[in-house]
Amino acid sequence: MNLDFQHCIRCTICVANCPVSRVNPDFPGPKQAGPDAERFRSDDETSIDKWIRLCSQCKRCEVSCPYGVNPAQIILREQVQYGGKHFRPLASRVFANNYWLGAVNSVIAPIVNRLAPMKLTKRILNVFGISTYLPFPRFHIHTLSRSWRWKGHRKSRKKVVFFYGCFLNYNRPDLGRDVRDFLASLGVRVIMPRQVCCGLPALGNGDIETARKFARKNARILAGYIDRGYDVIYTCTSCGLALTQDYPGILEVPHGRKVSENSYNLHEYVLKLMEEHYIEPVFEPFHRRVAYHIPCHLRALGIGYPAAGLFEKIPGLEVVILEDNCCGLSGSYGFKRSNEDTAVRLGITAARAIKDIDPDMLVSDCGACRMQLAHFSGIPAVDPSEILIKSLKEGLKGSRFQGGKN
Amino acid sequence: MNGTYDVVIIGGGMSGMMAAVALADMGRKVAVVSRGDPVCCLSTGCIDVLAAGNDPLEGIGSLPDNHPYRLVGEDTLKASLEMFRTVMSEERGAYVGDVHANRRILTPLGRHKITCLVPVTMEFADFHSDEYIHVISFNEMKDFYPNYITSRYKNSGCSIFDAGVSTTMSIAERFENRQFLEEFISWLKGLDIPEGRIAIPAVLGMHFAVNVYNEISAELGRKVFEIPTLPPSMPGLRLFDGLKNALLKRGVNLYWGKEIYSVEKSGSQIEAVTLAGAGRSARVQGNAFILATGSFVSGGLHASMDAATETAFDLPVYLPGKRESWFNDDFFAPGHAIEKSGICVDQSFRPVDSRIENLFVCGSILAFSEVMKYGCGHGMAIATGVAAANVCGELA
Ligand SMILES: Cc1cc2nc3c(=O)[nH]c(=O)nc-3n(C[C@H](O)[C@H](O)[C@H](O)COP(=O)(O)OP(=O)(O)OC[C@H]3O[C@@H](n4cnc5c(N)ncnc54)[C@H](O)[C@@H]3O)c2cc1C
Ligand code: SF4
Ligand code: SF4
Ligand code: SF4
Repeated sequence: MNLDFQHCIRCTICVANCPVSRVNPDFPGPKQAGPDAERFRSDDETSIDKWIRLCSQCKRCEVSCPYGVNPAQIILREQVQYGGKHFRPLASRVFANNYWLGAVNSVIAPIVNRLAPMKLTKRILNVFGISTYLPFPRFHIHTLSRSWRWKGHRKSRKKVVFFYGCFLNYNRPDLGRDVRDFLASLGVRVIMPRQVCCGLPALGNGDIETARKFARKNARILAGYIDRGYDVIYTCTSCGLALTQDYPGILEVPHGRKVSENSYNLHEYVLKLMEEHYIEPVFEPFHRRVAYHIPCHLRALGIGYPAAGLFEKIPGLEVVILEDNCCGLSGSYGFKRSNEDTAVRLGITAARAIKDIDPDMLVSDCGACRMQLAHFSGIPAVDPSEILIKSLKEGLKGSRFQGGKN
Repeated sequence: MNGTYDVVIIGGGMSGMMAAVALADMGRKVAVVSRGDPVCCLSTGCIDVLAAGNDPLEGIGSLPDNHPYRLVGEDTLKASLEMFRTVMSEERGAYVGDVHANRRILTPLGRHKITCLVPVTMEFADFHSDEYIHVISFNEMKDFYPNYITSRYKNSGCSIFDAGVSTTMSIAERFENRQFLEEFISWLKGLDIPEGRIAIPAVLGMHFAVNVYNEISAELGRKVFEIPTLPPSMPGLRLFDGLKNALLKRGVNLYWGKEIYSVEKSGSQIEAVTLAGAGRSARVQGNAFILATGSFVSGGLHASMDAATETAFDLPVYLPGKRESWFNDDFFAPGHAIEKSGICVDQSFRPVDSRIENLFVCGSILAFSEVMKYGCGHGMAIATGVAAANVCGELA
């Protein structure tokens, strides 16, 4: 048993940061659900705290606690305990396996995309505990796993494995291909090997066995490349958190530490290339005012806000960073009927903060944030890499970069 | 993410954040590393400058010579508080008050607390005891007992609103909902409170609190004020969010939830700090460093049975004698000797006896600050933060 909970001084800082307990009185909040309840739990007893599932694992409590307690981690372990011992509702089972769901949906994409908006479909989904307030994301036949698997010069000094994750694979393969081509244009050799879901959705739905199965497979593949001098690149911040925190942490997969230490956020990696003078790009102007909604899991990564560091260099781009609100969707969390009210309330609050600064567009690294916030604010949402790629498309031609020369 | 900065600030409390604002405004590239959220989140949100006497500025002259305020100087103190007010008003959190005049706010125990600058939502909290006060509370609200207050004032009354929820955070969240606000206002109007001021626990919204407050005041046409609550404290959180957003707006990079794992030195210079965490450890490099990690409550200092250590750079810590002398027998007595402990600095805010030239120290971690005894919490943190930034900014 981890004894970190004993460091808790009951300051309530984590409580102030918890989005869920603010809007849902059934969830007692990180202090009570985490360190307070922990002293009454034992490893071999079944949890009876039904509300444990209401935590969305946004990790805001973890980032804010000044005493290193990490309530989110205590709660996660208890969620897994609970999930292993209790019947999991259908919605949880479906989302734990969203990878297979995505795989099937993309094969029959034209049918799914037409069925999803229909009233009857929605009603059926609701019966199974799946919420339909958001338009379902569109699925594509040409997923990334069916795209060209490598790009860039063989002899580049910089080599990366792109861990694109489920969202890009099934819902935005076009963006995945753009990121791949962009990296190649920076003189980086890019490989997109066969890979599966990072495992986070399974973990979040209390199914640690499935999560571990996915994680083991990915870690084996990624570690093989790391041993050959590759770095791992991710764009989805939740995938990033799984790779860096959960692989060596709760999932305890072989090579977890290696994967964790060699994974980079895309923007972090581009900044690194610039710092090492591997590239010296010229940023083309992009005249927009954008609201940058920081995903909770980017905060939890603790790497600062690398995309913001690149945005600073783009002439004409005016960026307002918003990091006080969780969008409320938290991956599949908000798609469950039982959490719909929480997700909607949080979504409205976060969208209000965005509308308040009257931006031309909103930016967020997380696909779920983008879906949720575009829906509630009516403002178009893009990934930070879309702006970066736009600004550097021209700028790279005129720039000096040594990539691939030696 | 690795990074190279002009100045790296360790500790994201009042002091570190104000130092960051000052340095960013001087055009410096700044990063703030913080293990977690600071104690200002637990505070009333009001800025204590110096509680003794009517004029805090006058009182500073009679502080002991080694008190950190004596290093700051009146001009810098005034300028730093002015800078604080400007920043907060840009962040929807305007403050009122006069640096030359202490004022009182009402506490949830019905007592007065002496402070100096207050959020606008507490502008009318300093009232004459003859005046009628009507206290509003919420059904089953945790840790707030209006009877404490009404029992102390003969001329007072109380009404309870049913918000449907009972925690500070959840009620504050409801207040940003238009329909809820309108229901509350029409209920309040329906009470027909005949005269005097209306006191409401500090739950009037989160980010848009000033709007909520102004709307209630205008609709009622009365003097309304908030009473700070036990933590979680909304005015404390609004203060923290305001300053943090001011940093983000100035391009300051935040490494939050992170602790220092190792320090790289070369001669008399600190070159970089490495941050602990899952994954690769980030190396944050700087020309100068500011230590603003707070005292024992925040973890800047750590006490064992008979010693104290500084948690980031392992600087020498001043202690007022042996353990027997640390505490006063009367717990509530103003000032236990242990409050004197901390880091001793020279005129330029550099730690003495450390031989490091590019490190500056500010805030409640400074030795002899005795924050509780003198009632100088946020004020001293702001003033020393800006003063240390001024010295450091010339170097970096
Ligand atoms: C409960 C309470 C209520 C108070 N109320 C008031 C009030 O109403 N008005 C008032 O004026 N004053 C008040 N004070 C006093 C005032 O809050 C403090 O004196 C002042 O805010 C201190 O600010 P600081 O910047 O020095 O440190 P802090 O605010 O303590 O900030 C230190 C920061 O450094 C971080 N940190 C610590 N160690 C490390 C490390 N090793 N590495 C990285 N980061 C680290 C911490 O997580 C924290 O974020 C109150 C104090 C307390 C405890
Ligand atoms: S878990 Fe941390 S933030 Fe939460 S009450 Fe305990 S010490 Fe405070
Ligand atoms: S992880 Fe998020 S939802 Fe869960 S307790 Fe912490 S702050 Fe609340
Ligand atoms: S989808 Fe984004 S903002 Fe929303 S919960 Fe996830 S990480 Fe937080």
